[in-house]
Amino acid sequence: MITYALAIDIGGTFTDAVLICSDGRSWTDKALTTPRDLLEGFFHAADLALDRAGIGLDQVDDVVVHATTVVTNVLIERKGVPTGLIVTEGFRDVLYIRDEHRYDMFDPQIEYPEPLITRDVTWGLNERTYADGTIGIETNADAVHAIAKELKSKEVSSVAVCLLNSYCNPENERKVRQLLNEVAPDVFISLSSDVAPQMREYLRASTTAINAYTVPITRPYLNALSERLKKSGVAQEPLIMLSNGGVVGARVAGTYPVRMIESGPAAGALAAGYIARKFGIDNLLSFDMGGTTAKACLIQNGQPLVVGMFEVDRQYLFKPGSGMPVTVPSIDMIEIGAGGGSIARVDALGLLKVGPDSAGSDPGPACYGRGGLNPCVTDADVVLGILDPLNFLGGDMALDLNNAQRAVQDLADKLGVSLMEAAFGIFSVVGESMAAAARAHATDRGVNYRGLPLLAFGGAGPAHACYVAERLDSAQVIYPPMASVLSAFGTLVTPVRLDLVRGGLCRLTDVDWNIVDSIIEDMLNEGKEALLEAGLPADSVAYSFGADMRYFGQQNEVTISLNADPRTARDLQELRSRFEEDYEALYGVRLDDIDVEIVSWRVTAHGGATGREATIMLADKPGKPKSSRKVYFEHEFADVPVYDRTALAPEQQIEGPVIVEERETTTFILPNWNLTVRPDGNLVATNQRQGDR
Amino acid sequence: MATLLPQIKDKVTDEMDGIQLEIMWSNLISIVSEQAKALQRIAFSPIVREAGDLATALFDSEARMVAQSITGTPGHINSLGAAAKNLIAVFPPEKLYPGDVLITNDPWLSAGHFFDITVLTPIFRENRIIGYCGSTIHHTDIGGYGVGAGARDIHEEGLWIPVLKLYERGKPNDTLHQIIRRNVRTPDAIFGDLAAQVSSGRMGGERLNAMCDRYHLTDIHELSENIIDRSESATRDAIRELPAGTFHGKTSFDVPGGEVITLKTAVIIDTDLGEITIDFAGSSGASTSGINVVMAYTHAYSTFAIRSILNPDLANNAGSLAPIKVMAQKGCIINAEYPSPVNARHVVGMYVPFPILKALAQIVPDRVLAEGSGAVWTIQIQGRDNTGRPFTSSMFNYSGGMGARASKSGLSATCYPTGVAAVPVEVLEASIPIEFTCKELLPNTGGKGRHNGGDGQRIGFRMRTGKEWLLNAIPSRLKTQAEGLQGGQPGASGAFLINGEPSLEARKRLMDANDEVLMMTPGGGGLGRPE
Repeated sequence: MITYALAIDIGGTFTDAVLICSDGRSWTDKALTTPRDLLEGFFHAADLALDRAGIGLDQVDDVVVHATTVVTNVLIERKGVPTGLIVTEGFRDVLYIRDEHRYDMFDPQIEYPEPLITRDVTWGLNERTYADGTIGIETNADAVHAIAKELKSKEVSSVAVCLLNSYCNPENERKVRQLLNEVAPDVFISLSSDVAPQMREYLRASTTAINAYTVPITRPYLNALSERLKKSGVAQEPLIMLSNGGVVGARVAGTYPVRMIESGPAAGALAAGYIARKFGIDNLLSFDMGGTTAKACLIQNGQPLVVGMFEVDRQYLFKPGSGMPVTVPSIDMIEIGAGGGSIARVDALGLLKVGPDSAGSDPGPACYGRGGLNPCVTDADVVLGILDPLNFLGGDMALDLNNAQRAVQDLADKLGVSLMEAAFGIFSVVGESMAAAARAHATDRGVNYRGLPLLAFGGAGPAHACYVAERLDSAQVIYPPMASVLSAFGTLVTPVRLDLVRGGLCRLTDVDWNIVDSIIEDMLNEGKEALLEAGLPADSVAYSFGADMRYFGQQNEVTISLNADPRTARDLQELRSRFEEDYEALYGVRLDDIDVEIVSWRVTAHGGATGREATIMLADKPGKPKSSRKVYFEHEFADVPVYDRTALAPEQQIEGPVIVEERETTTFILPNWNLTVRPDGNLVATNQRQGDR
Repeated sequence: MATLLPQIKDKVTDEMDGIQLEIMWSNLISIVSEQAKALQRIAFSPIVREAGDLATALFDSEARMVAQSITGTPGHINSLGAAAKNLIAVFPPEKLYPGDVLITNDPWLSAGHFFDITVLTPIFRENRIIGYCGSTIHHTDIGGYGVGAGARDIHEEGLWIPVLKLYERGKPNDTLHQIIRRNVRTPDAIFGDLAAQVSSGRMGGERLNAMCDRYHLTDIHELSENIIDRSESATRDAIRELPAGTFHGKTSFDVPGGEVITLKTAVIIDTDLGEITIDFAGSSGASTSGINVVMAYTHAYSTFAIRSILNPDLANNAGSLAPIKVMAQKGCIINAEYPSPVNARHVVGMYVPFPILKALAQIVPDRVLAEGSGAVWTIQIQGRDNTGRPFTSSMFNYSGGMGARASKSGLSATCYPTGVAAVPVEVLEASIPIEFTCKELLPNTGGKGRHNGGDGQRIGFRMRTGKEWLLNAIPSRLKTQAEGLQGGQPGASGAFLINGEPSLEARKRLMDANDEVLMMTPGGGGLGRPE
């Protein structure tokens, strides 16, 4: 019996749909995102893909998986409903004071986002938990009831509760929830000890505030989605992609929308992990370049890395530190302001700079002919001949070469170089800044980037990846099929998964296994419940274990993955050596004299591999170039043959330089690289000079 | 097809084009920034890991700073910039070998007090030194008096490490290691942090060599020349756009003990040379308490003030700093001489930018900001916990309000000039037996104006030990106020209360078990007449 699985990824501009049949056939399509009612675009894109397959929604009997920007939109556009905050008395301004840090020391003009929750709807509660978990003052019922009444009178429909030290004992916060429920049962309540149970009050409050602010929008949205799918005959609850690459049921997701913020990019990283595993490659670097930014993500042992913190809504020149911090697990990515729409300029020192300012889609690069005058990366690509102005989006959107040349010529005059040199300058500076970001990202994680294969996707990724690969001494670049809807595809090849973390601060020498036992048991239960709800059979839920550890006296932890449930062996020496191995790999030192402590325990509950695959139609016999064009590269012109991707046949080999075109993207392979077409539809470029470098 | 690598021309005098230079320059900056990130992550010293009180920099073979990390504090960064030359003067290249690591905490040669230890590693490429990697971080302890201004001369302030080799040809200098270990209160943390500095220096060297491999460079001489030349001429050009002349500024503020310090500047703008000279003639004389500032630190905060107003986008390096000269008479409070105590030099040092800003306000009124609350207030606590085990907290700090800016209000509870963060309440409560009673803004303490100054905050705490404890607190601006600018009103002055009573003590004080501290940090000045 065949089954169908559907994935919908709602991005800023497009909503992508991928439909996969268990026999390997697949269909994809795109529709414009509908910001006012995202579900409209959801069902429109779904219909387009379903129509191609000639089936109805009711025939989707495998999963429906969804990645969405709904949470991010609420945050950036500040569309949330009035939200309140309850904190320990004396600490009402936690969201205003932040960490007192100026993220750009030299610039006195910096700005921060306005807090999501204002002072007039923030309440201080006379209660106290200490850092050792003991309670000094219990939650007082009258005080909470009084707050609940004020919540009602101020029409606050969602509230964040962030009490001091609740990361190590949630009792007072839970009492607040219970008491609020008694008086105001309709108010959404987000407890910091549930949302982000980790030390550091500002980070936890920021994360909890984001959750509280977005719950009232996200939960109805997901409920509506479930309803409409049910009405259309889809039996299963939809699954939602989380920032950490996990997939959970809509109900769990709706309780913690802060975990969904990066769901689209996370899905892209998962697709990269899937492809790495398929290729039998342990480590690779995914390179996703779109219109305004480029993202790189390191895949290690076939999996993207997960980190504990990221930022949303950067306010000031995209600078790190100018956004709101979020401390929930998220796929570890580096994002820089370098995409097709990034603007090139000459700075006061006469240096060529590209980005982070972007021309966006309106007016867009000069070549869009919509009034944009600034030279952008896409303009440089057109001037160089990498992009065919008449074949953009399959010819649906002609680009204006003259406009592009005019814009780049202005820049060339300022630099005192020729038009073509300036265009190549833009191409190389943007490539170098991606490579620099990727190097930093890899080095920071103790990974040697040299020789790592690259995976190119996103609209602009395939045109630039080969050059970036040169800068990283990469041996290989992989160009997957479905590159423009790869994130949606990623959601379908992802096992259901939930990452859990609980504080358990303790020196290794003082570990009390009874406490550890209850912490881990708690997480196992929560994980199991969530996975069963997502439709997984009980016997296929598996768990993996980890711990955050550090040297006693440090405050930043290293997350260690453990081979088995640590309660089985109870081997403290083994825990220490696992930590020290990773620590030394990361930072190059090992401190034998210093105690090691556990900060948190981690459990990941996950299902098995999904087994879903998509095969790609290729030509029967090796295709010939459909044309050739002059491309300017490294100070000279070369005639470069141009192929249609659909005309390529399995095992076909082509020497670079070569261009491969498809509807939404163009692949540019440099000289000295050879392209091979894999039977599964992936294109692989291999560096021919690896030996003599 | 030509080689895919950028063509590096042979002659030193050749100018690189804007494309090549951009690519390699950003490479250098990414090397030092990664070093700083790694150091901050693995540091034991809470002020480093939570507050970012550190600096890393890369120097060329002549010990000129070519790139520095974007994190850090002005005091560290700009004094690290000058420190490399001082260390190399003691150990010139012919006395350095692969595997050597230099160290010092000499206040006059590096960052102005013993807590800041500078580590410098020569970078070898084919047996030749092509540059140096340096870092300065604020360590948890250095023996002696501890945090605070109470020492009577420099020798009471702790262990003085002259310029020495911490490692010789890859081997630790045992004598020095043992001396340090015996003379500090928290040896594990110090050695953990020194190990981090040493490994970050080594990694920086590896990264620079890898970059040279990538671009087929034998050294970074030409690159460094290009970076420094361009930065210097860009800075001179920016200065030439200012009106020539001499402009005066003055600021007064009170320090622990109640003493009022006055800093006076003459900012001399020479548009022919494209140079700015800052002369502190007429400023207060040396203090008997440990708030004296060495010239390197004064220089650091002075050049910072100019750079942050003139061209904050330009990377900081030997070239962008060269056109700014700083002078002060010997022995005055901001050009301290041996054996003046200097431990709490940041109290005065962080006010150094204000008279300069006031002078600049006369010529670039739209770029400056009003006076802010001044120095961050720093605290250190020592005592014994419930079980009798002694503890020493690291230094932690809180900000008042920043001065209003020409087009927007000042940030509340945020400091200018320094950029250090506050250590979170929960981190402190987890590391020492302290209980905070409040940390909240003080509304309307920022001066009113067309744009208001940032508000100060109140921070209260007590100890949970049931025993006596030692408090070392360094507040300032308890009597004076941050002045408004262009008709703006002044910010509120601060208050430092023990059990509700104002305290003006400059020295470490012994506290009773139940004593409570309440600090109200000052507000920043407003800018423009209030509407």
